[in-house]
Amino acid sequence: MNDFVIETKQLTKIYGEQTAVSSVNLHVKKGRIYGLLGRNGAGKTTIMKMILGLIPITSGEVDVLGRNIKGQEKRVYPRIGAIIETPGFYPNLTGTENLEIFAKLRGTAAPHAVENALKVVGLPYKDKKLFSKYSLGMKQRLGIANAILHDPELLILDEPTNGLDPIGIAEVRDFIKNLSVERGKTILISSHILSEISLLADDIGIIDHGVLLEESSMGELEKKNRKYILLQVSDIPKASLILERQFSLKDYSVQDDHTLRLYDTALDMGEINKALVTQNVTVISSQLCNDTLEDYFKKITGGEGIA
Amino acid sequence: MSVYLLFALVLTLLIIAYLVSVLQRIQTQLTLMKDALEDIENGNLNRRVLATESDMTRQICYGINEIAINSQSRLIQQKHSEQAYKRLMASLSHDVKTPLASLVGYLEAIESKIVVGEEKDEYIHVASNKAQHLKHFVENLFEWVKLDSGEQIFHFEIFDLNELSRNIIADWIPFLENSHFEYEFDIPETEYSIHIDANAYTRILNNLLQNIITHSEGDNMALRIFENEQQAKIVITDNGKGISSDNLPHIFERMYQCDHSRVAKGNGLGLSISKELVSAHRGTITAASIPGSGTTFTILLPKAL
Repeated sequence: MNDFVIETKQLTKIYGEQTAVSSVNLHVKKGRIYGLLGRNGAGKTTIMKMILGLIPITSGEVDVLGRNIKGQEKRVYPRIGAIIETPGFYPNLTGTENLEIFAKLRGTAAPHAVENALKVVGLPYKDKKLFSKYSLGMKQRLGIANAILHDPELLILDEPTNGLDPIGIAEVRDFIKNLSVERGKTILISSHILSEISLLADDIGIIDHGVLLEESSMGELEKKNRKYILLQVSDIPKASLILERQFSLKDYSVQDDHTLRLYDTALDMGEINKALVTQNVTVISSQLCNDTLEDYFKKITGGEGIA
Repeated sequence: MSVYLLFALVLTLLIIAYLVSVLQRIQTQLTLMKDALEDIENGNLNRRVLATESDMTRQICYGINEIAINSQSRLIQQKHSEQAYKRLMASLSHDVKTPLASLVGYLEAIESKIVVGEEKDEYIHVASNKAQHLKHFVENLFEWVKLDSGEQIFHFEIFDLNELSRNIIADWIPFLENSHFEYEFDIPETEYSIHIDANAYTRILNNLLQNIITHSEGDNMALRIFENEQQAKIVITDNGKGISSDNLPHIFERMYQCDHSRVAKGNGLGLSISKELVSAHRGTITAASIPGSGTTFTILLPKAL
């Protein structure tokens, strides 16, 4: 058994002449938040719909929760919670009444499921407000409450923060993070906002024009994002003394027996190298690491950037 | 007669049909449960068995779920503390290795007589400061480990909180003045007896005040105490740079430092230690902040333990 909760193989969707999704191999690991990042129209929603079996697949395969989804829908869907685009609710019922209907239809994992789901998203239980009177933000919250109502193992959330104000975005981000960190849920989330995804995701997939350009962990990406000078020298204590005395440098750290990281990238490396060498410290290598996440995305999407 | 017989027959058939349908529903439920149990046994503690209000098996389904939920949360807790220790080890490598390397550098320079006279004295002074800093860090670290593993022993006695607080603050006034802080203290003149470990309480206030001096970048601080029958509220505010809402939820976590550059002056243990000490008194400590205009720490301590 592998640890992927969702795995797609060469997943492709063609509408007429238009290729919406092209040979995508997605790997969503258990217990992690996977952020699908791409501009509007990049193919994020199409991928999610195919994973959920909402639209037919042109070619390729989708495995969800260890099963090929085809023909297994009834066994797999109760274990997934999803919001794709605007969730459908009855406008003339209250939020609580709407959720109670879904609870009856799908069953729940524990008593008081409706009350608890509303509490998680910060909506009042047994409130008299009709769904038709809800603001966009409240509708979105109710959509998420509905997705977590049956305590699913896997959540698929398509742009869940759309239409929320900045405070609402932070709140939703917090409880999504919480679902993963405190309750071990696996979450696939899409967004077109780089900063949103970078705050939330453990793994990230970058999609552009239907092609998955890169799939990597956030930790790996952050390494590319830091600004520092990596300096390999023969004698660490001696080197750090020279740096402190001659360059008044305090912002550095010792990585291992021969490597220093200097966090001030404005330093004149030529001068530092010279000072070290004249004082008998061999400089094995020095390397400037200076790329922001934004720069990186620009590079891999071919110049236009993401958000 | 035959009408009755027919009626009874139809009724029996209906009842049988009903029972068969119930049986089928239970059958599917049982298959689901078997599936889920196998999955849970294989380690998927997120698996749930769903049931609706009318299901006869509802209680059993919910029971299975509860067991899975409880084991899951225990497992997650365990994972969190493992991660915390990993982080601790990783930051140790920075907090100890870096100052130690430069300390060795200074000492080597002195030993090999590269520096002489006044410069030598200055090198010795810097080296000594670095050694002090390291000592302080290691002490803090041990204190935190002791608290975290529950080995710390507390001595709760009855003290006058107001008197105790005044004594602690008296020691801080010179430091505040040296750091160019204006201060305001508002502590009731009355006596307020409380069950407290005096050393721990001193430590809590010391850490918070130290935190203001080293990190807030403000020039004004206040400590106010409000008391009632149930609890005492200690509010410490500053007018410094504040803490952003991204950082605020994490400041009591061990090794969390808002300042991501490596020059951080503290060691990321002070607030974490304060929180542990406050919880040992069954109290709470919270922080609120407006970036750019200051931070407020609020401690609530129950009068009786």
